[in-house]
Amino acid sequence: MSNEKNNLKYNVVIVGSGFSGIVAAGILADYDLSILLVDENIHLGGQLLRKIPVELGDYSSYRPEYIKRIGFRFVESIKNKKLTIMNRACLVGAYPDHRLMIESERKEVLSVSYDVLLFATGARERFLPFKGWNLPGVYSTGLVQVLMKSSGVLPAREMLIAGSGLFLFSVGCEFLKNKGKALAILEQTGMMDKVKMLPQLFHQFSKFSEGGKFLAKIYLSGVPVKYRRKIVEARGKGGNGGKGALEEVVVGKTDASGKLLVGTEKIYKTNALAVGYGFVPNIEGPQSAGCDLEFSDWKGGWTVKVNEKLETSVENILAAGEITGVGGALKSINEGKIAAFSILHKFEKITGDDYSRQLKKLTNERRRHLAFMDLFNSLYRIPPGALLDIPDDTVVCRCEDITMGDIKKGIDMGFTTSRGLKTAVRVSMGNCQGRTCGPVVFDLLSLLGKQEPGAIGPFHARPPLKPVSIDALAHAARAPYL
Amino acid sequence: MDDLRIGSIKRKDKVTLSVNGKKVEAYQGETLLAALLAAGYKRLKRSPINHDPRGALCGMGVCFECIVTVNGIPNTRSCMTEVENNMEIEIHE
Repeated sequence: MSNEKNNLKYNVVIVGSGFSGIVAAGILADYDLSILLVDENIHLGGQLLRKIPVELGDYSSYRPEYIKRIGFRFVESIKNKKLTIMNRACLVGAYPDHRLMIESERKEVLSVSYDVLLFATGARERFLPFKGWNLPGVYSTGLVQVLMKSSGVLPAREMLIAGSGLFLFSVGCEFLKNKGKALAILEQTGMMDKVKMLPQLFHQFSKFSEGGKFLAKIYLSGVPVKYRRKIVEARGKGGNGGKGALEEVVVGKTDASGKLLVGTEKIYKTNALAVGYGFVPNIEGPQSAGCDLEFSDWKGGWTVKVNEKLETSVENILAAGEITGVGGALKSINEGKIAAFSILHKFEKITGDDYSRQLKKLTNERRRHLAFMDLFNSLYRIPPGALLDIPDDTVVCRCEDITMGDIKKGIDMGFTTSRGLKTAVRVSMGNCQGRTCGPVVFDLLSLLGKQEPGAIGPFHARPPLKPVSIDALAHAARAPYL
Repeated sequence: MDDLRIGSIKRKDKVTLSVNGKKVEAYQGETLLAALLAAGYKRLKRSPINHDPRGALCGMGVCFECIVTVNGIPNTRSCMTEVENNMEIEIHE
């Protein structure tokens, strides 16, 4: 039996307070609409807009980059506007009758109804499993960045950075600035692959200048940067119920396909390794709401299918930002605006003419962001050889200790869809619900099972979308649509 | 052990946590994960099947590798929790 105060109703619910969510909320809050902004994190701003929440010492001269300055202004501005903000709250499920189940910070389960729903759930990091990636001391590049920016703590004084993408350099710069020692930055893809793209890059020069600054800083700092390097193994006294953590990392050169060139291995002694291989969209919320998805390598994997107005396939549900394609902050800001105007038009708060004008201007801008997105995601794609090279005894699904060998066996037996493989070998059945291994398993299915993305499909997303208390579950069980 | 806190930052008030009964100092505004890592706690759980040591991976609430018991509530993501004075944390063996 749900009590009244736990049944809330809003004109607009926005899930996610990164760039898109914040921008949309800021625009919508100036109109006569009831708005709820829900976010799982401790503070507003998503993954990019993080600030040390303590008094700043030497940081008083700290000037965040241009894009972030815009973002922080949005965060500050919405704090004084008329809308309800729910931090540290978790989306448990989205149901077809315009209703969401949300677990609040105080672990209360709320049933929230909406007229219009905007998903702006952002992206998470992509991983490439290697032997020992499950040892304590192996961190995602995002973790390192968040640790430094939100808490002012380094994961270690010395660290090796490896993976793929410009984010490695961004994390490297921040680490050096905070007096950390980076042993090296190892990029999985090849330098030459990027040189080949140079003519196209010139058209996008302004967008790359930010990344270029990071690159330049790293090169000037003297930290070695190596291309076509892969992690062979992270070692520590960890296995078989041991107590240990990371002690050393074995790294090797690869060929163009990403396969290890045996005999080129080198050992780095270190207690911390930061790894990152780009980003994948957080599609689970929209997926559970029934929104159609589409797959594209150039968009970062499975994304929410939207039209020009950013409407999804489900009426009155919109999607904006990284979940429509991983394209960075400027694309997210642009889509936050488009979504806001589409919503205002639905509520007849702006005229059709005003809407058309705004949409035309913003859509032109969006096209440029989409072109950049395609290019960027193609530059840092994980080469197939690197995936096929994962040894059989390497854990791929960390939650359930499912190895590469288990996955290959499952695919060999004919389980060539995400859903089939999940049932056959338990992959993705743990706490993270496939968010960590899912993109890897999908790529393996596509390489080994040789099926089209649509036939493989993503892992299913059902309530509860994240592990929640038993109380929340009991409550959800009384909902008619579980 | 090395202090991993970035020196140039002036911190807020100190708080005291209890980790497996042992006193650990941290600062207001830090995440529990940051406080644990700064205090040298890298292994935060074990994997359910092989019982291998595990520590934080994603740092943003996705992977559930940093779950500990906080004030009696099990499976709490330390990366999504802010430290509070007298917080009781259990890292299970």
